[in-house]
Amino acid sequence: MRQQPSILEYRRGRYLKLALLLTAAVIAVYAWHEPPVVYVKPYGGTWLGYTLGTLGALLILWLMLLGIRKRRYRSSLGTVQGWTSAHVYLGVSLIVIVTLHSGFEFGWNVHTLAYVLMVLVVASGLVGVYAYLHYPTLMTKNLGDDTLEATLLKLGDLDRKCRRIALDLPDEVNAIVNKATRSSARHAPLGGTLRRQLAGERVRCPTREACAALIAMGAGYTGEQAKINGQLVSAMTRKSVLIDRVRRDLRYRALMEVWLYAHVPLSFALLAALIAHVVAVFYFW
Amino acid sequence: MQILVTTLSDGPKATVHRDQRRLTGTAFAVGRGTQCQIHLPDARVALVHARISLTDAGALIEASPHRVVHNDREVEGAKLAVGDVVEVGPYVLIVEPPPAGIALALSVRVSKRVSTKGSMALYRVLMRASRASKRRLSYIAFFGVLGLALLAPIASDLFEGQTMRALGAGVIQVWNPGPLARSHANFAHECRSCHQMPFIQVRDDACLACHAQVREHVPKGDAHGLVAMVLDESRCAGCHRDHKGRAMTPRAQQLCTDCHGAVRHADMPRATDFAADHPKFRVPRIERSGLKFNHTLHLDPAGVRAPREKRTVLGCESCHRPERDGARMAPMTMEKHCSECHALAFDPQVTRRQVPHGPVKEVETMLREFYARLVLGDIPPDVKPPRDLPRVRPGAAPTSEERRAAMQVADERAQRALRDLMQTRAVCSTCHHVSRSGAEWKVAEVKVTRAWMPRSTFPHAKHATHGCLSCHDVRGSRRAEDVAMPDIARCRECHAGVAETPGKVASDCATCHRFHGGKGPWHTARRGRS
Repeated sequence: MRQQPSILEYRRGRYLKLALLLTAAVIAVYAWHEPPVVYVKPYGGTWLGYTLGTLGALLILWLMLLGIRKRRYRSSLGTVQGWTSAHVYLGVSLIVIVTLHSGFEFGWNVHTLAYVLMVLVVASGLVGVYAYLHYPTLMTKNLGDDTLEATLLKLGDLDRKCRRIALDLPDEVNAIVNKATRSSARHAPLGGTLRRQLAGERVRCPTREACAALIAMGAGYTGEQAKINGQLVSAMTRKSVLIDRVRRDLRYRALMEVWLYAHVPLSFALLAALIAHVVAVFYFW
Repeated sequence: MQILVTTLSDGPKATVHRDQRRLTGTAFAVGRGTQCQIHLPDARVALVHARISLTDAGALIEASPHRVVHNDREVEGAKLAVGDVVEVGPYVLIVEPPPAGIALALSVRVSKRVSTKGSMALYRVLMRASRASKRRLSYIAFFGVLGLALLAPIASDLFEGQTMRALGAGVIQVWNPGPLARSHANFAHECRSCHQMPFIQVRDDACLACHAQVREHVPKGDAHGLVAMVLDESRCAGCHRDHKGRAMTPRAQQLCTDCHGAVRHADMPRATDFAADHPKFRVPRIERSGLKFNHTLHLDPAGVRAPREKRTVLGCESCHRPERDGARMAPMTMEKHCSECHALAFDPQVTRRQVPHGPVKEVETMLREFYARLVLGDIPPDVKPPRDLPRVRPGAAPTSEERRAAMQVADERAQRALRDLMQTRAVCSTCHHVSRSGAEWKVAEVKVTRAWMPRSTFPHAKHATHGCLSCHDVRGSRRAEDVAMPDIARCRECHAGVAETPGKVASDCATCHRFHGGKGPWHTARRGRS
């Protein structure tokens, strides 16, 4: 099966070319432009400054529209893939445009606040690009042919199986198995808080502990008991492998999601700072 | 070869539904994919989970890379014998005794030992909705920033009052794009002192409220046409930009040459750079000061005759002293600079007294009073009255006839003394041009040029390292009409244009000129001194 081109390769990098062209043009005009001599320092209020500022503001508004466009399933205004591709490239070119608009002048004020927020939004967006390019491959590799749902069903089966096998073994083994199978849900839920999700398989896992305990106990068994314990260890180990796989999957899913918790609120903060910046500049013109 | 597959499923009322199929071939796929001959639809089964193949040696099941449970043992493959139980995911495959003509008989049913549903609930899935939602965070971020960065400053600007002012002074600073010039910094929190109206550019009125003394570049009425229009439309802020953190007076040459490189006017030649393109200095050829003065005589290296010493050697600084600001030369006066040598004695045989240095009328009055007093017999001790002077006898009351005669004598003496000063002894006319019309003596008005180049500034103090003569060469000058001003070539020996030139001082327009005429001492109108 031919692999889908990623958003970065959309239409053979159509928007990469567009963004490069835009950036090059902006840099060229900035280099050519000679600000009027009355400005003892660089300044966003020259004709080029206003042009770059307007361009940057319009770009920010358009970039934020992606949040609306991706929810309009019936819209035929380009594809969401194309929008996202353009969103990424033009978003990065915003750094250049806005930096030149600032004329490299920064201070402790709303104007620089807007700039810093813009940089943070773009940076968090780049984290997102990395996540979208990197984690789906890892997720496929992690789960293989299985789906998350199938793996969970298998886990359920293994739990029953472990409990069934343990019936023929001493009480302490039963206690261990019960703790590892029944209480998984209560004490060590898969997923859970964001921190647990991001921790992945690095959480304290009752199943893993049960495996170790069963192997230790099994050393003292002989004959039929040893054989049954062997089966139990085998099932429990398999469960441990699957459970780690699920946790890893959830970790990838969380990583693909978590950057948006910075990207989206920061971009709204940026919108507010942008409005404040524009109003402040013309309020006290 | 054929195999028989019997699928058992739960029917209604604890009955079992049997579905038998015969399959022909030697290899059969087992899996959840619909292409598999033995189709086991469940998520726990792989797409193609295993293959059952018929060989001469018997039936085999191969699952690699997956696994099946064969008689309770997890294996990648196994040989199938009658009675074997194979578990694939939730399914149980049992090898039955085959009927005649059939190579392998399998019964397939769903295991009672595995869950068919509800496992998801067991592992309460998964991403428990975190309390943080992007939407809520976005609202907080948006309105938080909007409130602090926009609404609070506007509120502090619009609503006055003590509290608001105290709060607002800090809040509005978040809008400040940069520190103010030093002289404006003390009212930095009063945005409205310059930005009088919201959304309207800073107006000149705001600047002129304090800078009332600033003069126009060209006085109103002196400019016409396009020039007047351009000057009219120029704002203070066109050149003076604050919030840039330093002095707000730009001195870039381009500010001048934008206009002065284009202006064509007889009175205002083009100028774009001091070294390359600057009109010649327009200094009068001769000075009409109304005085007589011989520099050579005064600067005689052997000295001039002086009343107390035998000879005094004079230098430039004996008369020309810079004013306290170091810019211009202080004006010279008769009393300070000349009178020590040039005494105004009017009748040396009679008295050492001198006439005042002033208008002819004053001198005349003083002389008449002096002689009248002598004629009336009132002789001061420092006066030796002339022998030929007719005098009224002291102590006797003179008749009006005698008085008139005495006054006439006094007047005649006074007139004679005046003629002596003006003409015969040439006391006044040593320095002044004196003429006579009828009975009246006239002294030419004195108009010494104070500033030869009134449109430029020239700080003498800064040029003190060079001798006076290097610019003002008065050697050989014998007339007051001689002008000893340097020409532009002399200035260019040291001063280059804006371009850095080795060994020269880079000079732009503002080195010598001021935009707001009239501020510096050189811009007071050209005025003569009486």
